[in-house]
Amino acid sequence: MPRPERQFVTFSIDGREVSAPAGVMLADGAKYGDIEIPVFCYEPKLGAPVGACRMCLVEVEGIPKLQTACSTPVKDGMVVHTQTARVREAQNSVVEFLLVNHPLDCPVCDKGGECPLQDITFGWGRGVSRMVEPKRHFRKPLELSPLIAIDRERCILCYRCVRFSQEVSEDYQLILNERGASSFVGTFDGHPYVAPFSGNIIELCPVGALTSRAYRFRARPWDIEGSGSVCTHCPAQCNVEFTVRDERVLRVLARDNHGVDDGWLCDKGRFAYQAIHSEERVVEPLVRDPQSGELVPATWEYALDVAAAALSEAGAKTGALAGGTTTNEEGFLLQRLMREGLGSADLDARAGLPPVAPETQRALAAPALQATIPDLEFAHTVLVLGTDPIDDVASLDLRIRKGVRRNGVKLAVATSRPSALDPNARLWLRYAPGAEHAFVAALEAELSGAGGVQELCDKADADPKAIAALAALLKDGGEDVVILWSQRLGSAPLHALLNVAAALRLSERDGAGLLEVPVGGNGRGLREVGVQPNAGAGLADAKKAGKSAREIATAAANGQLEALYLLHADPVRDYADRRLWEAALSEAGAVIAHASLLSGALRATATVVFPAESYAEKEGTIVNLDGRVQRLRPAIGRPGSVRAEWQVLADVAKRVGLDVGALTGPMVTRQVVAAVPFYAGLTLEEIGGKGVRWQEREAAASAPAAPAGPFEAGEPLAAPRPNGALRLGTYRSIWAAPEVEASPALKFLSAKQQAEISPVDADRLGLDNGAKVSVSAGDASVLAKVFVRGNVPAGTVFLAEATAEQSATELLGEEPRLVEVRPA
Amino acid sequence: MADKLLFDRIDEPGLDTIEVYQRRGGYESLKQALRMTPEEVLQNLLDSGLRGRGGAGFAMGKKVSFLPRGGMDKYLVCNADESEPGTFKDRELMQKSPHMLIEGMIIAAYAAGANRSFIYIRGEYELQAMKLEAALIEARQAGFLGDDILGSGHSQTLVLHRGAGAYICGEETGLLDSLEGKRGNPRLKPPFPANQGLYQGPTLINNVETLATVPHIIKMTGTEYAKLGVENSAGTKLISISGNVQRPGNYEIELGMKARDIIYGLAGGPEPGREIKFWFPGGSSSPVLKPEDLELGYDFDSMAKAGSMLGSGAIIVVDDSNSVVDVALTLAKFYRHESCGKCTPCREGTNWTVKMLQRIHDGDATPMDLDIIASVQDQIMGNCLCVLGDAMAMPLSSMVAKFRDEFEQYIEEARERAGLGAAPDPSPIEIAGAAA
Repeated sequence: MPRPERQFVTFSIDGREVSAPAGVMLADGAKYGDIEIPVFCYEPKLGAPVGACRMCLVEVEGIPKLQTACSTPVKDGMVVHTQTARVREAQNSVVEFLLVNHPLDCPVCDKGGECPLQDITFGWGRGVSRMVEPKRHFRKPLELSPLIAIDRERCILCYRCVRFSQEVSEDYQLILNERGASSFVGTFDGHPYVAPFSGNIIELCPVGALTSRAYRFRARPWDIEGSGSVCTHCPAQCNVEFTVRDERVLRVLARDNHGVDDGWLCDKGRFAYQAIHSEERVVEPLVRDPQSGELVPATWEYALDVAAAALSEAGAKTGALAGGTTTNEEGFLLQRLMREGLGSADLDARAGLPPVAPETQRALAAPALQATIPDLEFAHTVLVLGTDPIDDVASLDLRIRKGVRRNGVKLAVATSRPSALDPNARLWLRYAPGAEHAFVAALEAELSGAGGVQELCDKADADPKAIAALAALLKDGGEDVVILWSQRLGSAPLHALLNVAAALRLSERDGAGLLEVPVGGNGRGLREVGVQPNAGAGLADAKKAGKSAREIATAAANGQLEALYLLHADPVRDYADRRLWEAALSEAGAVIAHASLLSGALRATATVVFPAESYAEKEGTIVNLDGRVQRLRPAIGRPGSVRAEWQVLADVAKRVGLDVGALTGPMVTRQVVAAVPFYAGLTLEEIGGKGVRWQEREAAASAPAAPAGPFEAGEPLAAPRPNGALRLGTYRSIWAAPEVEASPALKFLSAKQQAEISPVDADRLGLDNGAKVSVSAGDASVLAKVFVRGNVPAGTVFLAEATAEQSATELLGEEPRLVEVRPA
Repeated sequence: MADKLLFDRIDEPGLDTIEVYQRRGGYESLKQALRMTPEEVLQNLLDSGLRGRGGAGFAMGKKVSFLPRGGMDKYLVCNADESEPGTFKDRELMQKSPHMLIEGMIIAAYAAGANRSFIYIRGEYELQAMKLEAALIEARQAGFLGDDILGSGHSQTLVLHRGAGAYICGEETGLLDSLEGKRGNPRLKPPFPANQGLYQGPTLINNVETLATVPHIIKMTGTEYAKLGVENSAGTKLISISGNVQRPGNYEIELGMKARDIIYGLAGGPEPGREIKFWFPGGSSSPVLKPEDLELGYDFDSMAKAGSMLGSGAIIVVDDSNSVVDVALTLAKFYRHESCGKCTPCREGTNWTVKMLQRIHDGDATPMDLDIIASVQDQIMGNCLCVLGDAMAMPLSSMVAKFRDEFEQYIEEARERAGLGAAPDPSPIEIAGAAA
């Protein structure tokens, strides 16, 4: 569905002529004339207005009754009054009614000082109380969930939280119990409200009824400062505002940016700030003591010297990995250190996934083929391919739901594992894990009519009828098609994907295109600044191709690499083939790492650990999945002796003989901008608070020329036949992350290993829900609890990657694997 | 007065069966209507001047004409959630002559182009639901419901749905939400049901009596029907009379009949020796009228002119053996209990009003509280999402205004009973009157 066009209408409000976009509600339209109409239940993010609180009653000439400004669209020539005696009386009345049962415990309420009810009472209330009767009482505060406290006496029953649960996150847990004056918010049977986006209701609540248990009583509004930045926990890069008190982050709030997050945060983004102030945080350089063999605190000079000496000795025999939280500036300096300082091109930021040929990358990065995040809301059809947004890029889950619910977007989901979006989809399809290439090739064949669909479907273990239905939906459902696909597809299916995009002519329309979900938070930026073995800054061919992550692991494990540089990367936890990485780290002569929390592997093998900045301390730029360059701004000072990491990289480079020529962070940014042709001329000021998509700037014309296609799609491998064993599929849960484990509030959510199997296989193997099993491939095995899930395809078991313990990466190699599941 | 229409030989045994109903000429209007075009049927409804019998009194033909033309799914919903205190006319009609309603619904649906229809009946009407269900089976078997009814090309399904006993589900949009399986809360209007009603489709919603009148209109033609009654109040009306009268019950009258003739003539007036103190002309939601208003004609305009309304046609008579305070408290408790809680003025206003009236009852109030009660009713009126808040505020407001002396006397006596002595002088700070 195309975006609505904006036309302006003129109306009169309190005697002023005001021009506002047609169709907006009066409550918003009034703002164009600098007139505020008070509201409680109205929140456009929640969808259609409900007119429940009645706070926004105004007089519209020609209509006898007062009208709710939240639900009355502005019209040409409309005459509105918000200040007449009649309107004032109605406003006074609603405030008085709301206060009939409100406890007025503002002095001990977290919301006091930043409370809409206080503000509106002050601005639109009568100023006196006529109420002498007892107010209603509830037990309070109660845990609505481990994250949220509910005080039902303060609740003004505006329905916002319930509407969020019912109509935005669609977890359908919160309801109004009872009715009338006895109504109260809760879950149907009193179970805790635990859902991935639950924390948003704290921010939605216009009173102190829903408060963050992590923030409760930690500060008053006059103690705190707000500081805008960007969350780097996942590729969604939601815009946030840190609440800071005395150099500590106490809270994270959403900072609405329609181009990025639509004003919502997931609970990880909202609560994982606690890891910043973890007792476990590394706040000074650590160097391994030759005598004791332990990591011990060291001075910066000593740590830098040790690191530089090891790197100088290793020279070109150094491999480097960057993790997803690395900024463009840090990544850029890392590749300079590697390429210019050490003469090595063995660097990678793709989380162990196979490298992609630079010309393929350039074709995928073509601005015309790039869909934007808001396109997900307005497309005719969205295909979600090989990703479950809730785990991989959380806030996009809400964006897709919004498109389907409010704009009638037709959704198709094609994944190997059942998706949280399946219930919203017109069509959902399954293929065998590891058979992404065969699946995309089958779709391409179906779209082009080239034949061979049946054979490709056999290879993918997909249903040809479903492929035909998908092709029909993509072709006939409207021109604006967005394909949201995951970097986890690997490299093999990408040519077929480009051919699919060409068949659907996605590059010819503004609202259509491809949207890639990278694996790391700044996966896209790191690629664009050249942190990859086969391409330099600006996706240019590398002068000398180096080893990919997996090749680095193999070489290090075989003693062919002498040093590993791990910039926020934890390959033992995050990358496939855990045992290979353990060997690589222990065989490498030196392991230099930047980390804020010490993993077991670093504790055992690191030579030098530089303390990493948290995302609330960092300055730099990152790139969102649709090419929006965003700016990280420091909200708090660095703890201990933590230094800016661009500077640490520059200092290391200097000691190995490379002067990077940067004296400040912004000087590095300028180097990045100069090196990447399609960022040309970009400044921090231009990026500002909302970011800027590089495709929308003039410099986008300097994007590297992309090959036109068609692309050689290659011959897909067939998925292994289960034959009694089970195919192994893996996913990374949103809750499988060190920052979750290091945040006390979130710890209860941290991902535990579970083996998701179909009822058919559960029956065949004699396993019940909760049974302990061992999942093994060869001599590697993982312990898990069985979760029998109705819509898991028979013949496949799904395990979580990157859990703190028993991670499925233990079982993952280069090829799709079959595993045995046995009672343990 | 004219012959009865809806209640004509209503007590005839077996009228609830299709056999007796048809023997008396039932379903002939349907056959006649199906021989006409939907536009002709609609014209008859427009000509008849029939106004909705559920409470709001909106012209029925006009409501039908609001539905968009075209081939989309359209719905007809019969509001049989008769919950207004004092109202029990639909109950008798559905129990004794269910086919009259079904026939009316088929004709109305034909005129509106609706193919799917529902009867939403309140949960307490178990016997009536059983009678309707049985009648529906008969009607389907006779081919009056289903595909291509009597070869007319008009197809229609009719489903009976039982509510769970919430007053608010008699409010049309609350009813629709409940019918859709949701919590029965009123919706914001616009959109009106005629455009976006049940399942977002165009929907015609009418009361039982309104729909049951339709076959009679077709039979006698709209213009003939319009000759019954008085100006702006065409036709006959079922009225329920309850309270302090000697012959309570349902009666069918021609609109415009003098109120005194209804209350004294039909219902026998209060017990000997008692005088009428006040009366509700149109259910418990209507502002009360005094004995001097008994000379008025019982029709839409006369009641409105007297500051009240005809509402559902339920007359509740209160004589001098009752205290106005007790009636007010009972009434307010009912509306507090039935408020859905969605909008602020109704949820909090009904609750606060009960608390204040309770204080009066308990002897813990002063005359100043009467000003607050009156002001709170003003604050509710017209400011709510639906009319439930008004339904309490209108009668309460009228009671306080018309019987202020009695309220004040009650307050004094109750204070004495409670041992609190005379009420203190009003506070020198003018807070009570701030809104009055």
